[in-house]
Amino acid sequence: MYSLMLLNGGIGNRVAAGRPKQFIEVAGRPIIVYSLVAADAVPEIDQIVLNYPEGFREEIEHLVADYAVQTPVTYVAAGASRHESVAAMLPECRNDRVLIHESARPLVGTADFKQLVADPRENVSLMLPIPFTVAPVDPDTALVTGSLERDRLRNVQLPQKFLKADLAEAHEQARDRRLVFTEDATLCAVTGHEVHFIDGQDTNIKVTTPTDVKLAGFLLGGDDDA
Amino acid sequence: MPKSILITGASKGIGAATAERFFYADNDITDLILLARESEEFEKLIGRFADDNPHGKRVFPHFIDLADRARIVGLMRDVMAEAGKVDILINNAGYTAPCALQQISFADFERTMGVNVYAPFTIVQELLHCGNTFELIVNIASTAGMSGRPGWLTYGASKAAVINMSEAIKEELSIYGTRVVCISPGRCATDLRRKLAPDEDPSTIMQPEHVASVIDMLASDVGHLVDSQNFVVRR
Ligand SMILES: NC(=O)c1ccc[n+]([C@@H]2O[C@H](COP(=O)([O-])OP(=O)(O)OC[C@H]3O[C@@H](n4cnc5c(N)ncnc54)[C@H](OP(=O)(O)O)[C@@H]3O)[C@@H](O)[C@H]2O)c1
Repeated sequence: MYSLMLLNGGIGNRVAAGRPKQFIEVAGRPIIVYSLVAADAVPEIDQIVLNYPEGFREEIEHLVADYAVQTPVTYVAAGASRHESVAAMLPECRNDRVLIHESARPLVGTADFKQLVADPRENVSLMLPIPFTVAPVDPDTALVTGSLERDRLRNVQLPQKFLKADLAEAHEQARDRRLVFTEDATLCAVTGHEVHFIDGQDTNIKVTTPTDVKLAGFLLGGDDDA
Repeated sequence: MPKSILITGASKGIGAATAERFFYADNDITDLILLARESEEFEKLIGRFADDNPHGKRVFPHFIDLADRARIVGLMRDVMAEAGKVDILINNAGYTAPCALQQISFADFERTMGVNVYAPFTIVQELLHCGNTFELIVNIASTAGMSGRPGWLTYGASKAAVINMSEAIKEELSIYGTRVVCISPGRCATDLRRKLAPDEDPSTIMQPEHVASVIDMLASDVGHLVDSQNFVVRR
């Protein structure tokens, strides 16, 4: 069985427009609902650990009830950073295996979670091949410093799955060595844990700008005429 | 997996024919939750089911006036407690008192909207709030909701609302994989039709069993292939 840590940061402040990011609407529903409902349909996920912005726990609890989410939810106050949030959420996970997702990716499907759960390896992330060329540069001098083989690079997606012990150890190391990572697959890899990847869907976009909100709404088949 | 079906307006007409069809069929729908007000007809139907239950199905009848929204809210909790879930919902109950605009009493317009629109909405919303997600919802609208007709203002307006509401529900519940179909029957030989067209010979028009067979089809494997915003059923 798995515990899902559902993170709620990452959405740009411009999108949120003063409201907590979990409540911005995509195709008529709060963005967080999509991930909750997709995860709820995965029998192997028997716990969802959710972080809530200060003062909004009740509202999130209402959403969970209103949208018929049946998987038990554990609520944890959001930390100041992603690291802090994960550090606070991880001890609340009842299972030895954890999944991480973020509500900023509303196009996640039940199949994405199931694909990870079915993978025999312990630490696995969804990732995407990079369809365009990227270059290493020195931003200070505005010089191109070489070239990168895009075949050897991947766009890191969520969800991901980890052994809880590996993830906890990686976060401990990060704290001790003052490493700051924006996601956990590379953090685990850099701190010495074997992390694998499988191909994700290119529709599983991260919503960070107002344009992304429209795009996600379009991909969800939502936009109305009137 | 055994499934449950909730049918509103199950005392007579299309609702009763649908209840009978599912009750006597040897299929995986084992629990029938039947709603209507208390009446001799409804009692008789419940009695028939109790006397002859060839497939050992469970029947949960409830007397309720669907114009009473507060009671619906409470009843949905009871339904969840006794049946555990509602896989298939047939919002069939309908009310009309045809009347010219000049003579319509506002209370009756409200009652029409209450039974035909707010009740199905409340049932869906309350069951969701109870943690229930549906496999299939069938809302019974009417061809009278597709164009306005003199004397049928309140009924037609309520059925137009059902058609539109069904489209929204279909989109919104797609995240659960719920199928939502709105069907609009044409003339069908029931008490309600008699009120709308008193002089018609009922033997010449569509029978309730015909509509029930279409609802049965929607609940079957073939039903998965029907993706229609408003499905007209007419003879
Ligand atoms: N017949 C047609 O030509 C036709 C055409 C298009 C659409 N329809 C629709 O088909 C559906 C079924 O109607 P029908 O033709 O089968 O008519 P019907 O035989 O008169 O049955 C109507 C059903 O609705 C129930 N109902 C009405 N008011 C109610 C209330 N306040 N609370 C609880 N239940 C209530 C009735 O139960 P009670 O025992 O409590 O009265 C009865 O079971 C309706 O939605 C109707 O609008 C019918």
